[in-house]
Amino acid sequence: MIRIENLSKNYGSKRVLDSISIEFKPGYVYGIVGENGAGKTTLFRCISGLESYEGDVNSDFNKLKDTIGLLLTEPFFFSKMTGKEYIRLLANARQIELGNIEEKNVFELPLNQYASTYSTGMKKKLALTAILLQKNEVFILDEPFNGVDIQSNLIITEVIAKLKSLKKTIIISSHIFSTLADTCDEIILMKEGKIVRTVLRNDFSGLETEMKEFSIGKRIENLDLK
Amino acid sequence: MTDFGMPLILVYTLLPIAFVLLSTYLFTKTEFAAYIFALMALSLISRLSEPKRNDFLKSIFNKQEYFSLRIIENLACCLPFMIFLSYERLYLIAMVLGLFSIVTGLFNYSANTNFTIPTPFGKNPFEFTVGFRKTYFLFPIVYFLTFMSISIDNFNLGIFSLILLGLICLSYYSKPENEYYVWSFKASSKKYLLEKIKISITYFTLLSLPIVIALLLFYFDNFAIVLGFYLLCFIYLASIVLAKYSAYPREMNIPQGILFALSLIFPPILIGVIPYFYTLSLKNLKPILNDPN
Repeated sequence: MIRIENLSKNYGSKRVLDSISIEFKPGYVYGIVGENGAGKTTLFRCISGLESYEGDVNSDFNKLKDTIGLLLTEPFFFSKMTGKEYIRLLANARQIELGNIEEKNVFELPLNQYASTYSTGMKKKLALTAILLQKNEVFILDEPFNGVDIQSNLIITEVIAKLKSLKKTIIISSHIFSTLADTCDEIILMKEGKIVRTVLRNDFSGLETEMKEFSIGKRIENLDLK
Repeated sequence: MTDFGMPLILVYTLLPIAFVLLSTYLFTKTEFAAYIFALMALSLISRLSEPKRNDFLKSIFNKQEYFSLRIIENLACCLPFMIFLSYERLYLIAMVLGLFSIVTGLFNYSANTNFTIPTPFGKNPFEFTVGFRKTYFLFPIVYFLTFMSISIDNFNLGIFSLILLGLICLSYYSKPENEYYVWSFKASSKKYLLEKIKISITYFTLLSLPIVIALLLFYFDNFAIVLGFYLLCFIYLASIVLAKYSAYPREMNIPQGILFALSLIFPPILIGVIPYFYTLSLKNLKPILNDPN
């Protein structure tokens, strides 16, 4: 269980997170949605301990950071490091002994090539594979479906379901509503650094309609397309 | 420089003076100064040959402007070295350096290939793996110098090859990595630093072993000097690891850089420099590694 109480974060005078209080339980998948700049990534970085913050982030783990598998929106790769070496580096970091990495190459990536030469989707899949092999308890996935092909999309959805069944805590952000509707138990709507709504699975369809109306409104008509 | 609070006019005045002083010092200290000089100039040029940067330049300038810019940049970088080499009456090396800087500007070469260069550092793939692949072309030169030292019976050349290898390995720690890589580690700050130092020394040993063994075999009378320099490389490697994290997550700043450079010239100050860098490193790593101790 992760408990967040009154979490706030400022960048200079700009308040990017404003008194966030929320709980994340094991065996649940949480989706975080919101416009660009709503504070999703900052929230993830604060939970992970990559950013300083005001407020409290507590958990049942001895050291939360060491149990988190964090998938960044744009994973960073060294210019001359292969996919296999990247996986090994991250496994070493958590003192995990890996056997045959090729066998665990679920996305069939060219692991002997330099990771920096991969496409956006391949980079995402490599970073995801690496954190999955770290055997984490909590998974924070920032845009895991971004730039990923349909087959991999299906694999990621299945992986999330498997992690849920293993009682892991999963927090996902995505701009693709359907992927969240397929995977999440709860969707948290963020706006200007605040949690404005939490929606349970039963009300997802209502949320989608509401978001469409709110986001699109009369904007398309205003384009006067003919 | 301006971020550091130094007026540009002062920087432009001090930089040439520092260059002349350090160059003079180098030429009085070693007979291989000209080669070190040439290598330093080439390393500067190679930084300007970074494919991404040049692709960008190509996209905004026409062909003629692009080549002119590249040649002028390369020559501007080499000019101080060429002038000093000429002052030392090493006209041939100065001329070759100038020609080389023009040629590298004319040709667009990419260091990126799909071929993966194998390394012996697979167990801990990071600084040495990445660094080795970036500097692989220097290793034959280093080992050739050792071979030459034995062939022409010049012990100093052998020691020079060992120092050169040490300097190459030091360069692997010049840039800070993305915070994510440090954050991922499940270790205390102390353990993290010690592990980093241990890996650097182990892998340096792996690369330098052929040189050390050759020198010990052929110059056994000078074994104390060989081991002395070998040990000094260890100490400098530990220092550069600490220096890197003493500024982390930023790049090493000017005072830290100067301190490290001074320690290369005058090793005894390492007694103070190492604990200083160590304290700063712990302070910088603790929040990222969530280390309460």
